Amino acid sequence: MTIRHAIEIDTLSLLAISALAGIVFAVYSNHKPNTRYSFSLPVMQAQDSTLTPVPSEAPVLAPEVQTFSQVSPDGTKKLTMTVTVNKDASKTYAFIASDAASANQQSIYEATLPATENMGIPFNTWSPDNNYVFLQQNTASGSGSIVMKANGEPIAQGQQYFDVAALFNAQNTGNTYQETTGWASGTLLIINTKQPDGTKGPSYWLEIPSKAIIQLSTQF
Amino acid sequence: MAKKSSRHKGRTGKNRGWFAHLKRYLPLLFVGAIFFATTTVALRVNQTPPICANSKSCTSDLSEKIENDATGMFQGEKVIPPQITTAMASLSQPPVLGANTTSGEKHIYIDLSTQTLYAYQGTTLVLKTLISSGKWAPTPTGNFHIWEKLLATRMAGGEGAAAYDLPNVPYVMYFYHDFGLHGAYWHDNFGHAMSHGCVNMRSVDAKVLFDWTDGPSGNTLGTAVSVCDQITDAKQCVQNNPVQ
Repeated sequence: MTIRHAIEIDTLSLLAISALAGIVFAVYSNHKPNTRYSFSLPVMQAQDSTLTPVPSEAPVLAPEVQTFSQVSPDGTKKLTMTVTVNKDASKTYAFIASDAASANQQSIYEATLPATENMGIPFNTWSPDNNYVFLQQNTASGSGSIVMKANGEPIAQGQQYFDVAALFNAQNTGNTYQETTGWASGTLLIINTKQPDGTKGPSYWLEIPSKAIIQLSTQF
Repeated sequence: MAKKSSRHKGRTGKNRGWFAHLKRYLPLLFVGAIFFATTTVALRVNQTPPICANSKSCTSDLSEKIENDATGMFQGEKVIPPQITTAMASLSQPPVLGANTTSGEKHIYIDLSTQTLYAYQGTTLVLKTLISSGKWAPTPTGNFHIWEKLLATRMAGGEGAAAYDLPNVPYVMYFYHDFGLHGAYWHDNFGHAMSHGCVNMRSVDAKVLFDWTDGPSGNTLGTAVSVCDQITDAKQCVQNNPVQ
């Protein structure tokens, strides 16, 4: 091996080493090891949340009226539900939409259900533009929801409300209705579904004016 | 041999000039240059995108913008933003939350697993509500402080069907770059991830939080914000790979 060859090998080696060192340095400087931290929250002094629960079982002995309400996201409207326990243990659910200060009350829905079933006001009941509300229904056959106009007008010709689960299941998508989570926009309700094997299915939109069911590429 | 030695001697003598020194250190300079170039290229290849929740508006400015005549767009639908008036800023008024608890550090905790926000003053829970964190981009976990409060601003970003452009986003409390807590008037799906990285709240909740939180003042940091992957039953805030 000549001196010239030796120098060339040395040079190439140095180049390779420096390039390698550069890559290692760059990767190391950008590398952030996986970390997991944990720290304590203050001990909570329980306080009422802004969540409106589905009413619990009420005592049957005496007639009783429970009231729940949920304000609209902008705080200008309010939906109030009164639950009256009847002598036969059935319950009457009455829903009133109003301004936040309870002015301009409008009765929008009323139903009497057996003791084994109930209704509730979901947290996301109001559409973002305050034009619609949806209500939760829990029956022996499962949970469902109905959607209606907040001003008491029919939602469609001859229809005071839409049964969301019935509308969805009538489309025969291959999946079954599971829950209504909330509003993607002023007219789009988000529906979660189950696949035939019981696993979580795709989410859908129910477009209120047209009653169209639109499958989404994401799950909520 | 003597001849050889003489020739070697002659060559050594010749190398005593500045060129000889340059020639000697040239490989080192060359190695340094290669190291610099490789590092630069590797860093560029491995470069992370700018930390940004709103890919269009975050690079312009994060200042207050009130645009009462503008219309917004979210998920391909036109959105009418709320009217914002400066009278809505009630910073000088007594806070609604924590009005009875005059002492104690203010701290906001966000549980991404349950999409729930907790606001504490000392040990008193003054607000608990559902939020919407990042769906199309993750909300960063970590421990932050509110660094800017804006009554309203425009947020825009996303591509294609996920593009959005929302004027008059109300009650903005930035805690990490342009990631902030704010009111969301374009959807009502709280309790489910629905944002591009920010923490969406109902405007009614965002307002009371906005009035309660503190921005930075002098040497004092703004209200603390901890974003947790999960808050356990034992009230432990668990953060996997927090950004800070």
